[in-house]
Amino acid sequence: MSHLGNLISALIDGELGGVELDRATAHLAGCAACQTEAAQLRELKRELRTLGDLDGADEVTSRLLAMVGPGCPVTAGAPGGLVAARPLERRPGRRARRRRGRYAMWGAMSLVVVGVGAAAFGMGGTPSGNEPQITPQLEVFDVQHAITSGDVPFADPAATRAKGAKGAKGAGKAVVKGPASASLLRAGAEAARP
Amino acid sequence: MRCRLGLLVSAAVTVTIPGVLAVLAILGHEHAVAGADAMTVTALSEDSTLGPLPTAPTRTDTAVRNSVAEVQRTSGEPVTVLSDVAANQQAFAMSLLGKAAAAGQETSYQGVELTTQSGVDGTVTMVSQVWHQGGGLTLVRTSSGATSAVSYESGGQSPVGVFGVTKAMVALLGQHYVAVYRGTGAADGRVAAIIEVYRFDGTLAGRFWLDSRTLVPLRREVFDTSDKLVSDDAFVKVQIGALAGRPAAAAVSAASGPAWVTASSPGALLTSLAGQGWRLPATLSGSLPLYAASWSGTGTGQVTDLEYSDGLNVISLFVQRGMLAPSMPGWRPMSLDGRRVYVSGHSVAWAGHGLVYTMIADAPPATVMAAVAGLPDSDQPGLVGRLRHGLDRLAHLVDPF
Repeated sequence: MSHLGNLISALIDGELGGVELDRATAHLAGCAACQTEAAQLRELKRELRTLGDLDGADEVTSRLLAMVGPGCPVTAGAPGGLVAARPLERRPGRRARRRRGRYAMWGAMSLVVVGVGAAAFGMGGTPSGNEPQITPQLEVFDVQHAITSGDVPFADPAATRAKGAKGAKGAGKAVVKGPASASLLRAGAEAARP
Repeated sequence: MRCRLGLLVSAAVTVTIPGVLAVLAILGHEHAVAGADAMTVTALSEDSTLGPLPTAPTRTDTAVRNSVAEVQRTSGEPVTVLSDVAANQQAFAMSLLGKAAAAGQETSYQGVELTTQSGVDGTVTMVSQVWHQGGGLTLVRTSSGATSAVSYESGGQSPVGVFGVTKAMVALLGQHYVAVYRGTGAADGRVAAIIEVYRFDGTLAGRFWLDSRTLVPLRREVFDTSDKLVSDDAFVKVQIGALAGRPAAAAVSAASGPAWVTASSPGALLTSLAGQGWRLPATLSGSLPLYAASWSGTGTGQVTDLEYSDGLNVISLFVQRGMLAPSMPGWRPMSLDGRRVYVSGHSVAWAGHGLVYTMIADAPPATVMAAVAGLPDSDQPGLVGRLRHGLDRLAHLVDPF
């Protein structure tokens, strides 16, 4: 005769009925091994049932909640001391503080860059009104050019005009060479060149 | 006997014909030596000779390398190696030019110079009366065809060269060109030694006539890269040696004018100016290096004079803070390569980024235009340029030194 096997657990739990219950009961009555197994199974189930009624469970739960903080609400009337289903409030941690500092640093740097850029853009445009207005002193520059280049000074119109204006003020320089003399000299030059 | 004679004739023909052909080919390149007379120049060496074009690019690393090639080698640019003949010619011609520079300073002379130069605003002709006492005073009185004259006295300041032949210019010329003695000719009725100056590509860049007796320069021609004559300066009347009476004092005296302080290191001055936001190049037009710099005070602030030259072309750039006056008598506004500038004879002026630039050039118009294009202009700068200029100004405010 075969033993009860899995049916023994269903028998202990009272889940069998009808023909199966009759057969299982009849076998259990005449089988010592199944009687022992049934007895052990009943004992195990009874011990498991007593675990849910431990007195220290509430104490452990309270201790865990106390570690979270005093602001954490505990549902006093909840069965078995369960914590209410509301989410815990998040407090700013070290990571958040670091992120905020980084944002502040980037913001300050951006402000500096934008400020310097705006100032440079403003100053890089037209010259300021303090710039002196200049007419190049050709009468001086021509002489300097002649000395450094080892050649005769040019008689650029602006230079001679400046000198003429100074002469008219009282220097009394009468230094006028007309085109006629230049043409004459050029003709002589052409004749002399090889 | 007949066989030997035939061999002798064959050998003579073999040697002579290529030589004659070579001489004819060389003479085909001559521009102005056609009128050279056959007179012996006592002041010149006998070993001067006509020869092939001076430059001979080669891949061979030969020991025959003149100072120019050495400069090129150290600068990392392609090396031009001269042939033995060209190197000897260069040495001899440079020796003559060096002596000419000294002669122009130490020898007394007086005369009339006629100068014709092509500028960005057309050709300008000037007549200069020059009186120079050897080793001392120089008086120059220059007039153009349409306006009154400007005159100055050097007060014995160096370099006081003739047609740009000074020691400094000759040294620069030796670094950027190859000079060759081309025999004798005539200038103002005097026998003259002719020195031709070539670029490294073999094109003619200039020609000098030196008085055969004293080596005082008598005439100079300058050609642009397309072989066009852009400058011709010559004595049309000259007396060398004993001088007539000294002319009246000049209107402008270098001694009484503003004092110019010469920078001991032009490059260091450029660096210092760059720190103030003055962006000025070390080389103009890609070929004219900065060789001298000085500064002087004026009524409107400090003026910095930067001198660029390759020994043949000279550009003086005067830079000062400010903006151009609304009215500039004697200056003509014009557009130069799309840039608004003011021109007066050889001079070009414009303003940009708070600085006024005045350029005086002994150089071909193309060189001048390239030089102007390489400097800041008055156009509205772009965003980057405006920011850069503004940052320069800010930096100058923070550290004015």
